[in-house]
Amino acid sequence: MSRDEINSLFQTYKDNHDPAVKNVLVGAFMDLVHSLARRFANRGEPLDDLVQVASMGLLKAIDRFDPDRGIQFTTYAVPTIVGELRRYFRDRSSAIRLPRGLRERSYMLNSAIQRFSQENGRSPNVSEIAQITGITEEEVIEGLEGAEATTIASLDTTTDDGDLSLLDIIGGEDQTLSMLDERLSLAGAMSSLDSREQNLLYLRFVEGLSQTEIADKLNISQMHVSRLLRRTLQSLRQKLNNSSMEPFTS
Amino acid sequence: MPLPNNDDIVSLEVPPLERMAKVVRLATSAVASRAGLNLDQADDLNTALDEIFRLALHGDGAGRAFCIHYDIHPDRLEILTEGVCESFTDDSSKVSRYRNFIVEQVADRFEQRSNPDGGFDILLVKFASH
Repeated sequence: MSRDEINSLFQTYKDNHDPAVKNVLVGAFMDLVHSLARRFANRGEPLDDLVQVASMGLLKAIDRFDPDRGIQFTTYAVPTIVGELRRYFRDRSSAIRLPRGLRERSYMLNSAIQRFSQENGRSPNVSEIAQITGITEEEVIEGLEGAEATTIASLDTTTDDGDLSLLDIIGGEDQTLSMLDERLSLAGAMSSLDSREQNLLYLRFVEGLSQTEIADKLNISQMHVSRLLRRTLQSLRQKLNNSSMEPFTS
Repeated sequence: MPLPNNDDIVSLEVPPLERMAKVVRLATSAVASRAGLNLDQADDLNTALDEIFRLALHGDGAGRAFCIHYDIHPDRLEILTEGVCESFTDDSSKVSRYRNFIVEQVADRFEQRSNPDGGFDILLVKFASH
């Protein structure tokens, strides 16, 4: 099925929620469901159960997806489906309900922010997040800042709601170096960053995308973009401080 | 730089210590929330303040308390940092150019003025938009 046909089906489903259309969409993406379920098949759970869980994720993604957003359905569906699989394993790994710690709160905030951004096309404010999650605004801010205090993720670690390495996601095209170097007048300082870091800076400071837009593009959370960006800026600043004190000459 | 006569002003003074960066971030996020800014906008301000705070930590005259005034308006948040030791714009070093660029990108408005008591006051403005 072509991308246009898929989009057309989503438009139809968005308009009338016809179960027959939904069935066609489910059928079109069952390969994706099986593929994602197989990634978790080595953790002691029957594959059939995992496929069932992943299918639930697909159904949620179909119901929530807005074709007018201009993104591919798979970009939206993958973290939703993998999120269901991860929650399945988390729920089964502990019979005891853990108290709501900062880590759990961070996870909850992550999901709420991502969902809000996808549904509304913009980043939420703290008040909106508090309403969605049912916690106070102070707890939201603590949760957001608390997440920042954890060890900043390496680009080799997996994404928040998926099983993909960030190295797989953040673009590797070396389009950024000369443009950003020129804008920043750093005369080659950018070359000390790896291509993924350069691309992140390019998206933020040359293309002018917001963190939410970058998160959407790279299929990671806004909080993750925030952490990566801060780490990259710190790294660049440190390199600049170490390299020279002499004035830049153009 | 005199502050406007506005009841909705929050002021913060922190020692110029690395560990205080977190306090500045928390305060900025809280005030930005009060001003109705979204997460992207709040984080932009934190990015800018991070650069200014590091200038206060490591520039000439480091050791002075870091003073921030948050002025909440219906449509924007203005943040004034007082007496930052070094000029933000006059230095032509790579670090200065980098810092200047970052702050200009993330703030909707950015001004620097001499402080009569020494150093420079830096004004950042972020407009709330939904």
